Amino acid sequence: MIPHKRNAAIQKLFHRYVNYRVRKAFNVMPYNHVNIKRNHSILLLCNHFSWWDGFWAGWLTDQYLHRDFYIMMQEDHLESRKWLGYMGGFSINRQSKEVINSLNYAAGLLNEPRNLVTVFPQGALMSNHSEDIHIEKGIGHIIKKIKGDCQIIYYSAFIEYFESFKPSVYFHLLDCGTNHNFDFEQLKSAISTHHRQALKEQVNVKH
Amino acid sequence: MVYPGSNKLVRWLFGLYISQSVKRNFYQINFNEIPVDRSRATLLLANHYSWWDGFICYHLNQLLFKKRLHVMVLEATVKQWPFMRHLGAFSINPQSKDMSRSLTYAAGLLDDPDNLLLIFPQGKLYSNFINDIRFEKGLGRIIAQSSGNFQYIMAASFTECFDHKKPSVSLYLKAPAIPPGNINAVNDAYTRHYNESKQLQTQTVV
Repeated sequence: MIPHKRNAAIQKLFHRYVNYRVRKAFNVMPYNHVNIKRNHSILLLCNHFSWWDGFWAGWLTDQYLHRDFYIMMQEDHLESRKWLGYMGGFSINRQSKEVINSLNYAAGLLNEPRNLVTVFPQGALMSNHSEDIHIEKGIGHIIKKIKGDCQIIYYSAFIEYFESFKPSVYFHLLDCGTNHNFDFEQLKSAISTHHRQALKEQVNVKH
Repeated sequence: MVYPGSNKLVRWLFGLYISQSVKRNFYQINFNEIPVDRSRATLLLANHYSWWDGFICYHLNQLLFKKRLHVMVLEATVKQWPFMRHLGAFSINPQSKDMSRSLTYAAGLLDDPDNLLLIFPQGKLYSNFINDIRFEKGLGRIIAQSSGNFQYIMAASFTECFDHKKPSVSLYLKAPAIPPGNINAVNDAYTRHYNESKQLQTQTVV
């Protein structure tokens, strides 16, 4: 696996660049607030349907979640864009035996309360219109390996246009509790219910 | 009521501009090829979730149908964006007595085999994530007033990004055989096609 090379100064500059890019490309990016626990690291899980997903997770971290940003990426993607390592990118290769090292590495980062690790639990790019969110088993492994306090937050994001020439992104956040008393089946069911509910709410969003 | 512009040069220039801006703002416009009946007019029914819908259908017409496009647009919108007239837009105001004139005009367009009439039967913008497509009554009146000799084309459209910066649009087209004059049958056929298309769309994995 490729470890991150996160550099705080470079990441700060990168967040400014991300803010510029998303403001330029998108019309509005509304999100709901959840109860963010103090002195907890954050495992951020998101639906994975676009090139922009990592940018959005970085943007949301900078705007709202306020933690040091790390992101789990496919090894071939990180290899072809090595500079993303400086932004907190570290790799996972699902076809390799090293997969367990990447999961333990993510758990290690989450021992620190100031860190946030973004993981796309579906493991592949799926349609934004999917009604089911598949959660890979590795998520359960990461959470069980965390030794400190960690809050799990999931969001479903949806792209819409409505009256604008630019697309908008609507984030539906869910507080999935912490790594203590964690149950993988319960997490899967909570995310699945939330995603279906978010799809229903999306139909009625103000525009 | 506002009628479409008839200046062919202006229409050609605006058409060029629309195609360029669709290509600039989207990675791909995907659609399935269907046989187009050249002996009858085309009634294109599409879901409405974005400002781009009309432009994308205009682009689709240039690529596939190659007919004279007319599109029914709310009067307030045509007045706000008068250039739409040159893209084949004519107005409708559901709050005015003028509405029946717009519907009669639309029905008349379906008599000419060279015409394509584009209608967003939901009447206003809805989310792209909607499951239930409800048609406004106006479409039923257009169908009832027309001679009935036209081809229905149903378009279900979805936006996705996948691994590209720019979004792509997938248009699922179908030409169903529908018994004449029955708006409920049209609405049912559209809903069925929309949901089948959505099923196909959600099976895409990259």
